[in-house]
Amino acid sequence: MAEEEDDPGFDEDLDDGGNGVDSGQGKRKRLFSKELRCMMYGFGDDQNPYTESVDILEDLVIEFITEMTHKAMSIGRQGRVQVEDIVFLIRKDPRKFARVKDLLTMNEELKKTLKAFDEANYGS
Amino acid sequence: MADPARVKPVVGVSEAPAERPTQSEGSRDAPGSSGKVSEPAAVQSTTREQGKAVSPSRSAEEAAAAGEEEDGSSSLHPPPAKKLKVEHDKKKEKRHKVDEDEIQKMQVLVSSFSEEQLNRYEMYRRAAFPKAAIKRLIQSITGSSVSQNVVIAMSGIAKVFAGEIVEEALDVCEKWGDTPPLQPKHMREAVRRLKSREQVPNTKHKKILFH
Repeated sequence: MAEEEDDPGFDEDLDDGGNGVDSGQGKRKRLFSKELRCMMYGFGDDQNPYTESVDILEDLVIEFITEMTHKAMSIGRQGRVQVEDIVFLIRKDPRKFARVKDLLTMNEELKKTLKAFDEANYGS
Repeated sequence: MADPARVKPVVGVSEAPAERPTQSEGSRDAPGSSGKVSEPAAVQSTTREQGKAVSPSRSAEEAAAAGEEEDGSSSLHPPPAKKLKVEHDKKKEKRHKVDEDEIQKMQVLVSSFSEEQLNRYEMYRRAAFPKAAIKRLIQSITGSSVSQNVVIAMSGIAKVFAGEIVEEALDVCEKWGDTPPLQPKHMREAVRRLKSREQVPNTKHKKILFH
């Protein structure tokens, strides 16, 4: 799978890589274009980021998710992806680790609150 | 020239407590984004009550233990087990206080944002990857179904990852004397730097020792 750094000249000119020389994932439909644009603006980029940059970022994110999934499948329970595996893989990166812990804690609290709310309503 | 409105997100730990304040920012980009603004307040008050309920019962326990211990041991002041309990208790209270301080500081900060900064902050909080697409992607790789928590964790991590790249690319852009919007060359240089710091996972290149 060719990475973006291998063919530096081609990314800017050929937008969707219609020819044979594309960056490996050019044929796939863009999954996260809209969300990534908003995200890049939120993280500090211009209000209208370049399409090529958004494409590069999408490829990177998909590669990241793919790698994490493969690693998670190879540890713990083989062939399955579980939350504990992800937390284990992330343990060395403080930012991501803290973020995952917070997200899961918040989700638990939310579920508890909604459950209590529903039960309270059920009586009335 | 750096964008003055660029708000550098505070490191992950402080982000979660800041998501609890009852701002009219609308739905959090957290799981189950049903967007009830009253929920964060309810959640926050329950955890605070729990925290306060725990400490008085703990201190009652400690007083009883102290009464017993003083009859037995004469020389040692607080025995190590009791000291650990007291320390843990103090740490929990300090953590709650730190949470509340953090929340107040965030509120003060956000209230002083300009229009453009508010827009950017709102985008920063709201933008998230669609759960359905992430779930489809993971399932296409594993071949079996995954739980909802996995999707939540993965999309959260992916957002942090995207943020790291964009921040590094903005540093590169500033260093090279360019202006945003970011160009692909900035992104590639950012990835190269992150790779050397091992923040970008790569299992394709096998490092052979003693080659």
